[in-house]
Amino acid sequence: MKKSTLLIASLFIVFMTEAACASEPEAVFKFYCAQCHGLGGEGDGPNVTADFATDPRNFTKTAEMEKLSDADIKNVILDGGPALSKSALMPPWSKTLTGQEVDGLVQVLRGFCKCKGAP
Amino acid sequence: MNKFLLLAATLVVAIQTSPALADASGGEAAFGTNGCGDCHYTQGPAREKTIEDQLAKKGPELWYAGSKFNRPWLEAWLSTPKPIRLMKYNSLEEKNPGDHPALSAGDATQVADFLMSLTSDVVVAGKIKAKAHPKGKLIFKKKMPCSGCHQYEDRKNVRGGASGPSLVGAGKRLNPDWILAYLTEPTVFKPVKMMPVFKGILSPKDMEFVSSYVASFKGE
Repeated sequence: MKKSTLLIASLFIVFMTEAACASEPEAVFKFYCAQCHGLGGEGDGPNVTADFATDPRNFTKTAEMEKLSDADIKNVILDGGPALSKSALMPPWSKTLTGQEVDGLVQVLRGFCKCKGAP
Repeated sequence: MNKFLLLAATLVVAIQTSPALADASGGEAAFGTNGCGDCHYTQGPAREKTIEDQLAKKGPELWYAGSKFNRPWLEAWLSTPKPIRLMKYNSLEEKNPGDHPALSAGDATQVADFLMSLTSDVVVAGKIKAKAHPKGKLIFKKKMPCSGCHQYEDRKNVRGGASGPSLVGAGKRLNPDWILAYLTEPTVFKPVKMMPVFKGILSPKDMEFVSSYVASFKGE
């Protein structure tokens, strides 16, 4: 087998292995985000008790979500609520999620709001 | 007898007469006969690589239980278990039914022996002392989202979220040094977890403050 073919085959195996390890964006949302934002994205996860100091964003509210750009959403996911002058109860996920997972989450949220958001 | 045989014989005698090892061995048997291994694994390192791996688990891993728990709490809890989590393990929809099996007093002692023998060398002893440090409190309650997912004590009141383990009485349950190790090296213990990784976000000193603060929770 030629060296270049071997290299391509090796890269393919590595890529497929990583792809197999990556979870679907919906699974990522349910695992990390739904604890506060709810499984349906309506801001009603089990953490939202009477003590909860803020209302987690309801992603199905199209009018509010349209005001946010994809970059806004990414910034809040990565750096937490204070990145958009919001509550620190929204955690910073920059050391937890991969860039691919964050991109996937943006699409999940856009699916909830059925909107594209600000450019 | 050559020196090698003498050394081997000495080691066999030492192992057989070591109370700690004998206790751990009996405890491991009790762990098995009580079916604990159906929900908890006890051999590290951590196995989970994906969300699906984590969700497939029925209960928390225990391979570092001896570094995580305080012995008196653990033994008492095994015979009279009370829910630590408000929600059923790995569920956001079902409440914890509080149906963890209770062990007999004898089995609880033996299983505690076994679990306390399971340690992680990532946990450095003697670094954290329980203290309601103001800076730890500020980070826990205001600067970081800890209270969003964990119940905690706030002037005799219980507040906080429901998705994470309750931290009410955490000082009785958890080894303060493990709390710090969990914050500084989270992926060693739980490579895939619902709690964010704070390594690289909180400074090492701030993690010590938070660990001391959490270890100061002494309520029931």
